[in-house]
Amino acid sequence: MDRFWGTFSRWLIVPVALLVLAIALYFLMRLFRLRKDQATGIALISPWLFGFLGFTAFPIFYSLYLSFTDYSLFGKENWVGLSNFIKLFTKDIEFWPSVRITLLYAILTLPIGVFGSLLVALLINREIKGIKIFRTIFYLTAILPDSAVAIIWRQLFNGESGLINFFLSLFGVNKIDWFGNPQFVLPAFVIISVWGIFGTNTIIFLAALKDVPRNLYEAAEIDGATTFNKFRHITIPQISSVILVQVVMSLIGSLQMFTVAQFLRPTTQAGIFMNQLVYTRGFTQLHMGEASAIAWILFVIILVLTLAVFKSSPAWVHYETEVKNAR
Amino acid sequence: MEKAVALNKSKPTRKIVMDIIIYAILIAISAVILIPLFWMISTALKSNADIFKWPPEWIPNPPHWENIANAWNAMPFNKFLQNSLFIVVLGVTAEVISETIVAYGFARYDFPGKNIIFILLLSTMMLPAHVTLIPTYIIWNKIGLIGEFDPLVLRAWTAWGPFYIFLMRQFFMGIPKELDDAADIDGASLPRKFFQIMLPQIKPILAAISVFAFRGYFNEFQGPLIYLSDKEKYTMTLGMYFFMGGVNEAPKWNYLMVIALIIALPSIVLYFAAQKYFIEGITFTGLKD
Repeated sequence: MDRFWGTFSRWLIVPVALLVLAIALYFLMRLFRLRKDQATGIALISPWLFGFLGFTAFPIFYSLYLSFTDYSLFGKENWVGLSNFIKLFTKDIEFWPSVRITLLYAILTLPIGVFGSLLVALLINREIKGIKIFRTIFYLTAILPDSAVAIIWRQLFNGESGLINFFLSLFGVNKIDWFGNPQFVLPAFVIISVWGIFGTNTIIFLAALKDVPRNLYEAAEIDGATTFNKFRHITIPQISSVILVQVVMSLIGSLQMFTVAQFLRPTTQAGIFMNQLVYTRGFTQLHMGEASAIAWILFVIILVLTLAVFKSSPAWVHYETEVKNAR
Repeated sequence: MEKAVALNKSKPTRKIVMDIIIYAILIAISAVILIPLFWMISTALKSNADIFKWPPEWIPNPPHWENIANAWNAMPFNKFLQNSLFIVVLGVTAEVISETIVAYGFARYDFPGKNIIFILLLSTMMLPAHVTLIPTYIIWNKIGLIGEFDPLVLRAWTAWGPFYIFLMRQFFMGIPKELDDAADIDGASLPRKFFQIMLPQIKPILAAISVFAFRGYFNEFQGPLIYLSDKEKYTMTLGMYFFMGGVNEAPKWNYLMVIALIIALPSIVLYFAAQKYFIEGITFTGLKD
């Protein structure tokens, strides 16, 4: 039990320190002639503020700086200008394959994950017998830990005795080395992600579907609208803001693939994601400057794609004018 | 009008056909979800030789129950479980307390720059964790706490879950402000107001967030992988990762499945025990505001 005491005592000290800082901030704000309630508000949110400044704002810029250095955890870093980036773009044999699979994986899983789960949500959004059992089963994939999911699929895709190769062999397909073959590693990852993604996205879409006012459908039925028309002109516009959130979240999530890939351990270079490259370069080879450069490239990719989605959203997201009351 | 009548007449048969199609699809998807889970349990109880049988065996014959104990003892998983629980308890406690306080500040007080700060907070939700990974590691290295549990739990005190803050703020805003005002008139202090009036109101959301945070800390992988180097301090997930063996090594599938099942167990139990909170929580992630 000895191994816990150090952390535990420091864990007790941190809130005390934060409280002292909050109180100090309160009086500082009072000196700046803020009202009592204003100063109290700032003091209350100060734990987040300190965490944000120290562990988010500062690190973002620090990692940008590091990407222009040869920092390696030991000793002083040297400014190397753009050479990390130039090396990655021109000489590095691992970099482009990782960009390729990271992007392709995100682009392929996005529509399947979002629209596939929307269809499933539509399916289970009806009150038929036994629907609760189906919902429970569907949600199961949302709650399993990534690591366990990865282990299951590693066994299923396993070249020698895996169930998937067995099913394929029934159709005369030879055994496939899914995670060793550059051609098959991407489809394998996509299949796993689709399996895991259904639960979470489906729950969210189901909740959104339940929020669509019933009277809209009734009005449309009186006008003789078909099921497809109702879906196209009522359901989609009504839940479009949820679709937007899902698209953005899925995109950001899939571009950051790490845990599942790390547990699946592809043996082909074509199956290594950018985030894994950040980890191996930074933490096993201690090339932290180079790792920061990769991390920033991925950050820019995520930023550009997210902004593109948001920019395109006025064209397809229908914003409600009425203000919904918070619960 | 005629068309509508015709449709109405044929509705019963059409409806039955539709129902059959829907059930078929539902059952097919359920099979896709359940077969891997079934296979996991089945593999966990097979002998080494049975795992490599071709064609594969669906039900282990005989089931090797001793695999459970053997897997558990193959590595110091007892210790790993203690470590995981330690991290969970410290992390969840700190996170829930600090986030409640911060959310309360955002919901109930006005101060200059509040909206900008709140937008900043929301935008950190979209910030990929790996951009801050290396500098954060360097900070902990400078403090001298690499290899300790500290980097995994201490920051929880700074309310590092923007999404939970957002959730809780929404919840606070739904509580009538008159409750606060009445307490103010009575001259209640801020802590009293908070504990006696607010806390009882927010119990459901605290439960939802605790369930989620529990799962987050228990299943966390990247943090322990980077910060923990001493085998004594491995978590369950990290222990399982090293239990897999080297890149080109074939893992002991049956034992590995036992461990994976054990790791999945808390999440599954929590899911069934607190299904309502779980689904509420997940639903909020795709919040419509």
